[in-house]
Amino acid sequence: MVQEQSNLEQTEVVIKVKRYNQEKGEYWSEYKLSVDRFTQMTEVLRRVKTEQDPTIAYRASCHMAVCGSCAMKINGEPRLACKTLALDMVKKYGSNQITVEPMDFFKVEKDLIVDMDDFYARMFTVKPRLYPSEEVLKGNAESRLRPEDQKELWKFAQCIWCGLCVSSCPAVRIDSKFLGPAAHAKGYRFLADPRDTIYDERLKILGDSAWRCTYCYQCFNVCPRDVEPVTTIKKTRAQTRFLKDKTEVVKTGEKHVRAIYESIRDTGKLEEAKVYLTTYGLATAITDMLYTMRNGKMSFALIKEKKVSEIAQIQKLMGEKE
Amino acid sequence: MDKLLYDAVVLGGGLAGLMSAHEIASAGYRVAVISKVFPTRSHSSSAEGGIAAYVKGNSDPNDNPDYMTYDTVKGGDYLVDQDAAELLSQKSGEIVEIMERWGTLFNRQPDGRVALRYFGGQTYPRTRFVGDKTGMALLHTLFERVSGLSVDFFNEWFALDLVLDEKRVAGVLAMEMKSMEPSLFKAKAVVLATGGMGMLYAHTTNAYINTGDGYAMALRAGAALKDPEFVQFHPTALYPSDILISEAARGEGGILRNNKGERFMARYAPKKLDLAPRDIASRSIIIEIREGRGFPGNYVGLDLTHLGESYIKERLALAYEAAMNFAGVDATKEPIPVRPAQHYYMGGVDVDITGTNGDLQGLFAAGEAACVSVHGANRLGSNSLLETLVFGRETGRTVVEYLRTHNESTSTTLEGEAEKLLEQAYSFVKSESGIHFGEIQNKLRQVMWDDVGIFRNEDLLKSGLSEVEKMRTQVKEMYVTDKSKVYNTEFFNALELRNMMDLAVVISKAALVRTESRGAHFRTDYPERDDKNWLKHTIAYLKGNQVEIGYKPVTLTRWQPEARVY
Repeated sequence: MVQEQSNLEQTEVVIKVKRYNQEKGEYWSEYKLSVDRFTQMTEVLRRVKTEQDPTIAYRASCHMAVCGSCAMKINGEPRLACKTLALDMVKKYGSNQITVEPMDFFKVEKDLIVDMDDFYARMFTVKPRLYPSEEVLKGNAESRLRPEDQKELWKFAQCIWCGLCVSSCPAVRIDSKFLGPAAHAKGYRFLADPRDTIYDERLKILGDSAWRCTYCYQCFNVCPRDVEPVTTIKKTRAQTRFLKDKTEVVKTGEKHVRAIYESIRDTGKLEEAKVYLTTYGLATAITDMLYTMRNGKMSFALIKEKKVSEIAQIQKLMGEKE
Repeated sequence: MDKLLYDAVVLGGGLAGLMSAHEIASAGYRVAVISKVFPTRSHSSSAEGGIAAYVKGNSDPNDNPDYMTYDTVKGGDYLVDQDAAELLSQKSGEIVEIMERWGTLFNRQPDGRVALRYFGGQTYPRTRFVGDKTGMALLHTLFERVSGLSVDFFNEWFALDLVLDEKRVAGVLAMEMKSMEPSLFKAKAVVLATGGMGMLYAHTTNAYINTGDGYAMALRAGAALKDPEFVQFHPTALYPSDILISEAARGEGGILRNNKGERFMARYAPKKLDLAPRDIASRSIIIEIREGRGFPGNYVGLDLTHLGESYIKERLALAYEAAMNFAGVDATKEPIPVRPAQHYYMGGVDVDITGTNGDLQGLFAAGEAACVSVHGANRLGSNSLLETLVFGRETGRTVVEYLRTHNESTSTTLEGEAEKLLEQAYSFVKSESGIHFGEIQNKLRQVMWDDVGIFRNEDLLKSGLSEVEKMRTQVKEMYVTDKSKVYNTEFFNALELRNMMDLAVVISKAALVRTESRGAHFRTDYPERDDKNWLKHTIAYLKGNQVEIGYKPVTLTRWQPEARVY
């Protein structure tokens, strides 16, 4: 039989794992092992469990970044363990010690295993399935899809429910009405599908929540499948103009965007004070102004912006009639 | 122990299990899906290249379902039950159309219809695909669909054993992994859709969760496995991490090359070349490596460079990404390093064309857990996704029929039976000290790879079998060091090892007994196919420490065995 080779250069690394169980509480465990340049972090964990410490608990399944099981924090970064090579971490951080911790935000059950129930509940809120027409369902009508639509939708359909984006999202922590990035990606994948029949209902579910995102781009940064949940939120916002019964959040959001648009159209600059006033109205603005004055930042709000000289060029780019 | 009452229980949340559950629930019956992972994490998600289908009006004009059946029968080296293969071909178009309607984002032709590509062993191109993440796309679609029905999901529940009422399956004993609380799921019917067993081998493209649980549960309950000796090795697993580089890579024109740059498949399959079936390509690669034409580290190259960057990145995104991330190779510029690894299990729980097991009333199986058999001695690429859906649906429909015509078990001893099975599971790891699961598991995987692998012979198989038998006794010394009452994964890993050992002994014995070469079962001491003595299915039972081997005829309809040349 062909003997597989272990002639690859070996490097010793120290793996520090943050542990937790009900009996012992939180503690750290350290393991030493030799890895080569191809060793995935899932393989590191498997070897620790089978060769050194069988008590360590984690999730892992496909080890090729399509199942989303092994989401965790490695050297503080939200990552899939399978998509992380041990020696890449050593190189990036200049240290042979690698720390492994459970994802943030979710409740830790044991070691690296967190409770995903809240995550799944958010995903199911957006009705994550296609609702085709009865005719198509019965097979009486054919639904063709243009290759370019397939390509656009497929990008957002590649969410693997790993939870990394939600674990790193600051908005879900402070705003219980924000559905979170993964649910928005999933929701938009169906909202934008020309074969779906419940557009209004979907827009109602997603519309208010879409305006609660803070555009920090963490979901964009951590997504192991490059789904860009934040992009789906932007695209959903662009559609709330079709929404009936807009909530205050949506109205304010749309006003804000309109104000920014007008400010740039008129001056070529973002006149923050004016945008603020237009978005939130005089009453809120005065309350906030008092707060701003107390913090000594009033002078920033009162800067008078002059029009930029190439304003006509900007207006042309914005599609305004000349 | 808690008791839950269902009409049917489906074990496994992959494509086959979900499709069965869909049919059972749609008929108005109460069904529970028990899975040791969240369903989208099932191994179906890892399937890459595509799903074969003859779609009326959208296939090669020369193609028809008969060619598809013929390809499947020939590919399976005539161990295929031809009625099953005919059913598979005939239902293929309908299944793809259903998935399309439910929202699967298949790649399109410019006119908006579903696109198709070539796969190994196909006379005409008929593989439908979503880039090279077809399995993931189908699994998500089906899970999303079924999660909208009234199906109860028990995710991260570990099924320990089938609960019997005499020769009848009356339920399942399972344990919630989070709380470690056992429950008895009473049901008239149980569908095993537990997937494959790649973790038995040191090198596998399978997920970590594929430990052969369903096969072992069936064996312990007294049901037979069919053709357990047939283990498929995929020729192109990425070196050295064994991540699958889809056959789509060769379907799209990828070329296997040795260290001299030669297209060596010309020697082994002069007509089909790189698109020869998996068993032939796997053995060819090993021969090249053995004869010194591999690269240092023992691999060959899979050359895509001539396909062009944009084509590779769109149609073979995962292959490109895996080569880049896990081997540091840019597939648009240099060949991908590949070698064979375990990939698929043709053997499985013995069921007929309806998904029914003949040993135990109320037991059904579908997908990789089952042997129908449509793959015979060697499965063609893109037939497994098709099988999960076609036979998942057939089995679900059979279960519906069964539920209509059968009454519940009236046995009053089921709880006692379940308690006994729980006791057995605990006693299996009852030692206070000694070895833990990992030591034996790693050894088992190496023995299976070395002795019951791509090339087999009597000496290897005899020594393999005796090693496996020894280890199987050894595991009784096993103990669980972790005493935690939440997600005690060490306990479940130990139970998985029990399943792996039960299966390993059956595979090794069956491989030793079959003295011929057929499909993926290749014996260097019996290099020829022997239709006179061996055109028959192996039927294997596990009775205590004894593997009992019997036979069943192969169903032939229209295709008589002929030499298998490509």
